[in-house]
Amino acid sequence: MQNVGFAYAILPALRDFYANRPEDALKAVKRHLEFFNTHPAMGALVLGASVRLEERVAAGETDPRAIGTFKVGLMGSLGAVGDSFFWGALRPMASVAGALLALLHPLLGVAALILLYNGVHLTLRRRGFAAGMQGPEAVVAWLKQAALNVRTDDLRLLAAILAGAYAGVFAARFFVQEGGALPVLASLLLAAAAVHLFSVLFRKAVSPSEILSFLLLVGVLILWR
Amino acid sequence: MAWRFLLAILLGGVCYLDRTAACQLMLHRPLVVATLMGAVFGNMAAGAQVGVVLELIYLARLPVGASIPPDDTGAAVFGGSAAAVASSSIGLDPGSFTALLLFSVIVAEAGKAADRFVRKVNVRIARLTAESVDRGDVQAVEHGLLAGLTLFAVTGMVLALVFSGAGVAVSKELLPRFGPASRGNFAILLPTLPLLGAASVYACSRTERTSAVFFLTMAAVCCGTVLFRWQA
Repeated sequence: MQNVGFAYAILPALRDFYANRPEDALKAVKRHLEFFNTHPAMGALVLGASVRLEERVAAGETDPRAIGTFKVGLMGSLGAVGDSFFWGALRPMASVAGALLALLHPLLGVAALILLYNGVHLTLRRRGFAAGMQGPEAVVAWLKQAALNVRTDDLRLLAAILAGAYAGVFAARFFVQEGGALPVLASLLLAAAAVHLFSVLFRKAVSPSEILSFLLLVGVLILWR
Repeated sequence: MAWRFLLAILLGGVCYLDRTAACQLMLHRPLVVATLMGAVFGNMAAGAQVGVVLELIYLARLPVGASIPPDDTGAAVFGGSAAAVASSSIGLDPGSFTALLLFSVIVAEAGKAADRFVRKVNVRIARLTAESVDRGDVQAVEHGLLAGLTLFAVTGMVLALVFSGAGVAVSKELLPRFGPASRGNFAILLPTLPLLGAASVYACSRTERTSAVFFLTMAAVCCGTVLFRWQA
């Protein structure tokens, strides 16, 4: 439920556009308190375009219903794009980069995670808002130019490479106990099989909590023994 | 110890606000939270060790649509504080480390239940705001937003106090009850946890080439690390 946040964000613009028309200002605020839900980082794009549309409505150039239609039409698809890009690609990439660098120094890892994520996140928010402010017509052009679907795939690939390195570091640390090529190969295969098994479980919608709970149960049984 | 809890409460409030209601600058991620909690409770490196493992494990559950993921921030508050306290008392041996990581799942699920409740209250605030605006009170938007932010911040502070308290209690009271040998048995499960994290990223990074690049990099880094160790 992001409607109150959206209405709060657009309120200064509405107060400006409807300076001496309190009735129209109230109607405008009500328009933005209708259901709204999208990816938070993509909200800036809708906000910018809504500000421009409200300006046109205040000037009598556009029907007020166009704003609701625009927001409802865009929030679902932007939510899907944002979830896929930010939660499904950028955050895993930043997280695994941070986790790897934290093995060198904790603060290095924390800084890497925050800077890698927010460098992209805040830039897209700012550019999205600026594109929206050019009008709803510019939104589609900006989305096309941003090519988030291509960048999503690139970031996923990068996340997979970094996650492979992370798994390799821990496989070497925990699994490889003896010298010789054969034990190393066997340990590597065992670790790779464990990763594959867990990923299959995740794809079958088993949650990390369920797997951890199972491991906790195993641990308690070991203690009992 | 009181000032440590006070600091944990303040940091918890900020981190939980960042998690849902404001900014989302990743200040709520387990790596950040566990490192901070480790620093607050006396050992930043111990907190970061927990954070490194927890950071990736919960990535497989995306906060998409109406689904509420487990509270990895709470798990990190618990794990970071517990690891720091354990390191200065019984020592953060592999068994204790594994036990803390596994106990954190209980905290993550408790935090998820709290999150669900808070979101319901937030929906009620949004409804009341809309009703007030319907009656002509435009300022209700500002009050509604402030109420929502306060709700998330206060809940975050309470959860941070409860979870860091639980972490300290587990490290000071529960873990010492088991001898070093019993805790050592727990360490058998430790190798699975980082691999679970790697699998979590692997599962949510699906492209046509993901499998090949993931396993090739894993093999290269593993072999490289082993060769480096042999030469050293």
